[in-house]
Amino acid sequence: MQDRPTAPELLDAMAAKLFAEVREWVPRERRFQILVLANLCAVIARELRAGAEPSLADARLFRGLLRRPVEPAIAPQEADAVARATAAELAGAIRAGELDDRLDEAIGRLREHVARKLEIARPGYGG
Amino acid sequence: MTTEAPDPQRVREALAEATGDDPGALELSPIEGGASRQTFLVSAGGEPRWVVRREPAAGMSFNSLEVELGAVKAADLAGVAVAPTVCFEPAGGRFGAGAAYAMEFVSGTAVAPRVLRRDELAIARERLPGQLAAALAQTHTVEPGAVEGLAGGASDPALEACDLWEAVLDAIGEPLPAVEAGLRWLRLNPPPPAEPRLVHGDFRLGNLIVDAHGLAAVIDWELCHAGDPAEDLAWLALRSWRFGNDDLPVAGLGETEPFLAAYEAAGGARPDAERLRWWEAMGNVKWAVICARQAHDHLTGARPSAELASLGRRICEPEWDLLQILAGPDGSGREAERASGGVP
Repeated sequence: MQDRPTAPELLDAMAAKLFAEVREWVPRERRFQILVLANLCAVIARELRAGAEPSLADARLFRGLLRRPVEPAIAPQEADAVARATAAELAGAIRAGELDDRLDEAIGRLREHVARKLEIARPGYGG
Repeated sequence: MTTEAPDPQRVREALAEATGDDPGALELSPIEGGASRQTFLVSAGGEPRWVVRREPAAGMSFNSLEVELGAVKAADLAGVAVAPTVCFEPAGGRFGAGAAYAMEFVSGTAVAPRVLRRDELAIARERLPGQLAAALAQTHTVEPGAVEGLAGGASDPALEACDLWEAVLDAIGEPLPAVEAGLRWLRLNPPPPAEPRLVHGDFRLGNLIVDAHGLAAVIDWELCHAGDPAEDLAWLALRSWRFGNDDLPVAGLGETEPFLAAYEAAGGARPDAERLRWWEAMGNVKWAVICARQAHDHLTGARPSAELASLGRRICEPEWDLLQILAGPDGSGREAERASGGVP
């Protein structure tokens, strides 16, 4: 256990400071770089708050598109690694044409995965 | 990113030789914002006079700087507003480790939010869509053979683009199933092959110098290649290049129809809506893969940079737009959409 503030709360504080104060201290032509850093703090804070659920949902979606039988539950601490490994398999299967007969379905369903990434990286972009 | 600027004295020698006129003592300062190539502002007596553009020591470039320079010269001859080139120095020459060229300084701004929002550029904004259409029509008159070593030029530019971005994706090794699904759809549904022409490859706000009168120069020809002219037209319409003006599809500045009419009036051949849509989807593939590659350059240590790192988390933006284009707005798939008469 760590003391408060929590990691996301610390990142919120950093983002606010960078955005509201530090930005004003740097030359105008470099302010963009401070905005990038402030935004990254906000992205990490959202990712920490979301926990393992987005990766778990992605792993389930990818397995479904690969028509895998339902596999044993994924431990939260392994969610990201499993999602990435399954994403690589799915990417390879799509490239190989194995999903050609249901490509429209895959395109439709993969929007759920992309929407989950946008929730962390750029809320509101997906409408 | 910190980069060592060229030695001012050696730059002075090169410019004196090229122009036949000693400019005196020079000052060089890096220009922020170039994602890949390094750019330096060269001032004499406090006045900006030239810009030096140099190949980075590490990281992958799509074209050698010599090819880029050849494209700028060919575009210049075709009537496109460019920053006139002054001299070229090979790698290890007077501009430093990477190959580099100097061009004349063009005043104005390339920063997209300024172009879209500054009061003093209101008249420029009205003129820009027509000027951009004309600049592209002029660029697309250039035959690929006019630029030595120009990338691309296969008999089918659409399938060549699929091959290229698949290969770049493989080199990065990042699993992006949404991009793969888009690429697969594009590979299975290409438009009829187009006659390849010089394509700028990154024609959008950010790479266009704008002054109070409108377009002053088209810059950053790093991604130029022989391809389908529709690629440039569609790229300009990517949501990422509207910089928040989402309801204005042409560069965040204007509507599609008058832009295409201006392109046609300037001598361009208007592509049909399906071809444009294909290239808009491909543009989103391209931007997603470029984001992944920029993040990869950070992760491998080739170009450590928080800005490049942050692009890894922007991949999902073009991915979303890609899937929206291919799925249609109601998500029912392209076939259903065609059957109901299509969406413009």
